[in-house]
Amino acid sequence: MFKKILIANRGEIAIRVARACRELNIKTVGIYSSVDKESLHLRYCDEAVDIGEPAPLASYLNIKRILGAARETGVEAIHPGYGFLAENPEFAKACETARVVFIGPSSRALSLVGDKVASRITARGVGAPIIPGMEMVGVNNADFQNKAQEVGYPVLIKASMGGGGKGIRIVRNDGELLESVEAGRREAKSAFGDESVYLEKYIERPRHVEFQVLRDSFGNVVHLGERECSIQRRHQKIIEETPSPALTPELREKMGETAKNIIAAVDYTNAGTVEFLLDADKKFFFLEVNARVQVEHPITELVTGLDIVKRQIMIASGMKLDVKQEQVVQRGHAIEARIYAEDAENGFLPSPGVILYLKEPQGPGIRVDSGIYQGWNVPPHYDPILAKLIVYDESRQGAITRLISALKDYTILGIRSNLGFLKRIAESSQFKDGALHTHFIDENTDALMPRHAMLEMALVAVALKSTGSAAVPATMSGIGSLTSTPWQELGEWELGAS
Amino acid sequence: MGIRCVMKIIIAYEGKPYTIEMVKDGSKNKVTINGDRSFNIDSYDVRSNSLTFVCDGKMSSAFIAGDRERTYIAIDGEYYVFDQVKGTKGTTADQKGDSVASPMPGLLVKIPVSPGDKVQNGTTLAIVEAMKMQNELHSPRDGVVKRINFKEGDQVDAFVPIVELEAQSNAIASLPPN
Repeated sequence: MFKKILIANRGEIAIRVARACRELNIKTVGIYSSVDKESLHLRYCDEAVDIGEPAPLASYLNIKRILGAARETGVEAIHPGYGFLAENPEFAKACETARVVFIGPSSRALSLVGDKVASRITARGVGAPIIPGMEMVGVNNADFQNKAQEVGYPVLIKASMGGGGKGIRIVRNDGELLESVEAGRREAKSAFGDESVYLEKYIERPRHVEFQVLRDSFGNVVHLGERECSIQRRHQKIIEETPSPALTPELREKMGETAKNIIAAVDYTNAGTVEFLLDADKKFFFLEVNARVQVEHPITELVTGLDIVKRQIMIASGMKLDVKQEQVVQRGHAIEARIYAEDAENGFLPSPGVILYLKEPQGPGIRVDSGIYQGWNVPPHYDPILAKLIVYDESRQGAITRLISALKDYTILGIRSNLGFLKRIAESSQFKDGALHTHFIDENTDALMPRHAMLEMALVAVALKSTGSAAVPATMSGIGSLTSTPWQELGEWELGAS
Repeated sequence: MGIRCVMKIIIAYEGKPYTIEMVKDGSKNKVTINGDRSFNIDSYDVRSNSLTFVCDGKMSSAFIAGDRERTYIAIDGEYYVFDQVKGTKGTTADQKGDSVASPMPGLLVKIPVSPGDKVQNGTTLAIVEAMKMQNELHSPRDGVVKRINFKEGDQVDAFVPIVELEAQSNAIASLPPN
């Protein structure tokens, strides 16, 4: 087992990895950009290295700096987390050259599956159904125009090196096509350091169902069941659950075996996720392989009782997978809600800034993987994810009520977050019915907007807070003490006695 | 003998002003919103960031925090952000529609226009990226680009004009983008 590893990430996932390391008795090195000096993840690491300016390309995507930090601190391995360099074959290759273990698949396997176009060809090779579209990255405008005509609108423009929903655009007609290609390239360049994009047919109202797979260097492979991630905004998952309300045991086995075959075909080692779209007729299509630990991995951990991050580290250190397929049992139901710094009621506009107040929920079956603390200034340079709330209960219904209750207990003030929005999704009858698809949010926008039922009570609360404590008597001396509270700045008080 | 004390406060929610009046008459408290909706407060307890109150017989708990410009409230899992009434911050096109600014701090990734360019209502004047989301800032009206205050790659603050348009005496009233 490793003695010391570097965590090439930030936020909640860096903390998740650091926790696994503590439990495995491994020392950790955290990295930070200049704007992340005060970030929570560093408090969980044994050492911390400054890797540069805030812009991702200068810091968390800067291979040279990160490998330099690895060398200086004498680590044996690097855990990339998700996002940033997690699926960059160049980085995996550079680690291999520097003789530092990359906790993930080999650079060769990463190239094959991390490249969305190459992975479609791989999947087809093992008999997995694929979505019609490009079999190579689009180079010139004509490539995109011709393929769009061939498969028919609507189409998707996707980042070839992408993941996490970044760099994906829906195009509904010829007029929008080229502008979307350019925008997709910019976003891909910024998010992944590679501007390649490709085009595929857009499947209407599918479910997003993915399979968690683990494979060791001896060829042992298991899948840990599925995660349904159909609740998405801007093509990014915000609520995930397992088991999927849509799968039968037969379909689960068929999709799970397909996932394992795709992983084995490219000699992929470590944790990986095979994503599928499931259409209304329960026909599934291979979407892509996510060659990293997923944001939503905790729900699988809760229903299988298996620690995915620890197994990533164990597999990378050369250990044999300690679990067989028949030992994997899904028990109960788990749901994750991603807490984002964004104004969900206003186009999901990012909302960086200072967290003035934070209260995280607790209780049976509640797990919070958080990267924030009260008083921290959330920087604008990175993904808006703040934390993840994961709930577990015996049944789907139980997990939903637990989620609603935990969301009501979760308070973040000072920046805008999607907490209220997540709660309204969980409360909606459409969600409870399990009739999920990836356009759920777009199609239920009205039902998910705030009903302002509590607006008057909120205004009452402002008034009460502004007067200070009830213990303050309504005399001029009592009122006088108010001038020192920040609540004076709410507006102008008119004081009068009558 | 009770002292009657009347306090009035005006705050804005989503751009709309609300007048809240609170009357303390001896041990009785009454809150009136916009002069017509009244609530009797049976009791209340205020701590640093939390308060509990019984309003017309029903108990509520709220969490509250504020800075100079805004007050944030969470109540029963719903969130409300109230703005101080003074000032007009919050729009991305200024009052006369002579400039555009980003509603959030971020990286200026693209300015597809140059000074002297003729632009139309809705033309993209700048693209700002924050938290990996790109936000296009559109011209609030037809006009001519007068000045560009930043260059691509600059970090911009919220509500600071990025692209300015030539003043137009007969400018049509502006609307913020989105």
